[in-house]
Amino acid sequence: MQFQRSTDKRNNDIPTSSMGDIAFLLLVFFIVTVVFTDEAGLVVKLPRAEAGEEGVRDLISNIFINKQGMISIDDVIVPSTSVAPIMMKKVSENPFLIVAFKTDKETPYRVVDEVMEGLKEANAVKVFFNTDMELPGLMY
Amino acid sequence: MGVLAKRKKKRDGGEIPMASTSDVAFLLLIFFIVMPMKADEIGISLVLPGKSNNKTDTAKVSQKNVAVIRVTANNAILFDEQPVRLGDLEARIRERVEANDKTVVILETHPDANYGMMVACLDEVKLSGARKFSLKTTKL
Repeated sequence: MQFQRSTDKRNNDIPTSSMGDIAFLLLVFFIVTVVFTDEAGLVVKLPRAEAGEEGVRDLISNIFINKQGMISIDDVIVPSTSVAPIMMKKVSENPFLIVAFKTDKETPYRVVDEVMEGLKEANAVKVFFNTDMELPGLMY
Repeated sequence: MGVLAKRKKKRDGGEIPMASTSDVAFLLLIFFIVMPMKADEIGISLVLPGKSNNKTDTAKVSQKNVAVIRVTANNAILFDEQPVRLGDLEARIRERVEANDKTVVILETHPDANYGMMVACLDEVKLSGARKFSLKTTKL
């Protein structure tokens, strides 16, 4: 008996016509799930640090402080005296809240200190000082 | 006859080419996957002491177990009242902590100093591995 070799070569290609559909499906998924930060904040030049670690973004509430000492929480410029009541409300909503300082490196420490006193008052004790990544070899 | 043939030819080429739609989709897909990776939060985390309404929270530390890093108003760094370069700070702290594991590092910053300098020192403290550590502001 002789085996018959298949001569039908028509269906040997992987069908790629649905690739576009798959790509669009994934695209829609990623567009829907992506979360863009809706906070404009203030323009700051972050300090550089080597010991930087990653923060949990979902728990973070940002405080922007620029070079001139302006404080911005949720895109509202606030005086340092209102930090405590605002943060008290935030902590009551989320007890695991981490307060991230996005502060310019040339900001006088006085402003940061006033804000930290407000945070202590509001019991928002977990803070996070945002920094720029510094590669050990590239220092000066 | 000649006019008819011409018109038919034109209609043949009237389709939008769909072959590259999947390429476009993949390009957008890569954009939306990579986009959220960029905005990672890098920084130094810290827990503030919180509201000190009961005196039992505050620990008394013997003077000989304390190492003070002082950032002065003109952004100079003093370690135990001796001027020190930022690059040497980590080694100096490590030396102190290894000699006495009860050492508490205090980072005392002048209100007029730059926030960037304070974070740079905080970075060095974190790198040195000192566990007991607190922030302080120079009283004017």
